[in-house]
Amino acid sequence: MASAQSLITAAALNQTYVSQDRSVVPALADVSLDVAPGEFITIVGPSGCGKTTLLRIMAGLLRPSSGTVHLLGRPITGPSRSVGVVFQDPVLLPWRTVLDNVMLPVQVLRLERERYRARALDLLALVGLTGFEGKYPHELSGGMRQRVSLARALVHDPALLLMDEPFGALDAMTREAMNLELQRIWQESGKTVAFITHSIAEAVFLGGRVVVMSPRPGRITDVVTVELGRPRDLDLMASDAFGVYARKIRQALGPRGLLE
Amino acid sequence: MRVSDVRQRPHVVLIPLVFVAFVAAWEAIVRAWRVPDFLLPAPSAIARALAAGLANRVYLEHAWITVAEALAGFLIAAVTGIVLGTVIAQFRLLERTLYPYVVAFQTLPKIAVAPLLVVWLGFGVSSKVVIAALVAFFPVLVNVIVGLKTVDAPKLDLMRSFSASRWQTFRFVTFPNALPFVFAGLDIAVVFSVLGAIVGEFVGSQRGLGNLILQFNTALDIAGMFAVLLLLAALGVALHLVMQAIQRRVIFWAQPDHVIGA
Repeated sequence: MASAQSLITAAALNQTYVSQDRSVVPALADVSLDVAPGEFITIVGPSGCGKTTLLRIMAGLLRPSSGTVHLLGRPITGPSRSVGVVFQDPVLLPWRTVLDNVMLPVQVLRLERERYRARALDLLALVGLTGFEGKYPHELSGGMRQRVSLARALVHDPALLLMDEPFGALDAMTREAMNLELQRIWQESGKTVAFITHSIAEAVFLGGRVVVMSPRPGRITDVVTVELGRPRDLDLMASDAFGVYARKIRQALGPRGLLE
Repeated sequence: MRVSDVRQRPHVVLIPLVFVAFVAAWEAIVRAWRVPDFLLPAPSAIARALAAGLANRVYLEHAWITVAEALAGFLIAAVTGIVLGTVIAQFRLLERTLYPYVVAFQTLPKIAVAPLLVVWLGFGVSSKVVIAALVAFFPVLVNVIVGLKTVDAPKLDLMRSFSASRWQTFRFVTFPNALPFVFAGLDIAVVFSVLGAIVGEFVGSQRGLGNLILQFNTALDIAGMFAVLLLLAALGVALHLVMQAIQRRVIFWAQPDHVIGA
């Protein structure tokens, strides 16, 4: 149940859907999760393990078949202002400039335009896009677009940031650079982050705790606490300690754990 | 133009070259076989007819009537097409109910209605405007509906994640997202509207380029007919280019290959 100190609590979530041949397919089975304020958790699992379903439920975009989610002590009934979502694709509006894309939530939520404009510019600086405010999405690289998407998710100052494999489409080097930046942004902003990935290395590198999920139906098989200091740098990924965590997660994933 | 430019873009030279070769061959054939003027006039005769018609302003007076009819029809079609298409796309029941009729009307050759409209509205300008509007209306309507329904799910999810209202989703995402389709429809419509005006003039009129063609036809002035056809071609190209220019400014973000019919 929702404890006083947790930011978001999922309790006994079940999600089923009816497939085309009308059989009932379980997507999530008995998923319970507690995330403390300021925590960075990563959720790792193979495709089809229901991690995106879990994120959509936490974002209020999907109602679970059974179970409850509490955000800041209140049950989630729909999308909340206290949540920012970064999707797999950047989902920028091509007819809006970078700054106007970041300002979209401010417009939709009818927030004070001038104050949040300053904040949007600060966030663009934070994600390293100063000077690109007036550019259009088609003028940016894939990594830059996802940074805009991150700034947009943060602009209305949500307590919780939900990220659904945001760097999955990027090349390996850009991805590592984005991981470093995300860690820095998380440390500077003090947000709570739930980050979905199918990369074990990414999960260990970013996560304070790594939630390991198995497929069909999606359930949590293990939660690994990663006791590596912050800020973590890329050299860490070659260290023995890192390797130990990676192996542990691979084992928790079981025979299906060969993901990379 | 440098040689290297031509090598990279040979069509820049080839396009006018084809035209010159075609006209030269035409001229040669007409002269060699002494083809009578009332069957196929030589390009030189057509050029003379065009120059004479333009000089005494007869062509321009008629052209102005046709352009006015076409543009008025186009504007009516654009506004009603966009408004009605938007309304239809908002309500699923309305769409399901009306779409079969839209398809039925679209497959009907609307030109066949022209004589009826001339009977109802007379030989003046108004019947031509209505025919032009009718012909141009359906490409706009269909493209608006399709465009408004072609929004990718992630964009809608994004708006939902901010608890956006229906109006906000429409204004910020669905409508701008549909604009490339709308412009594809308008581009077709502007050409269709000229077609509608001409057909209306054929059926019954006192003035306009369609009327002029009929007059020349009766007089067996084939060179004059060709001159008017050239004028119509130029008019069509001009309208298309204007649409393209507007389109490039308004939907600058859309790649041309993303736009249907462009």
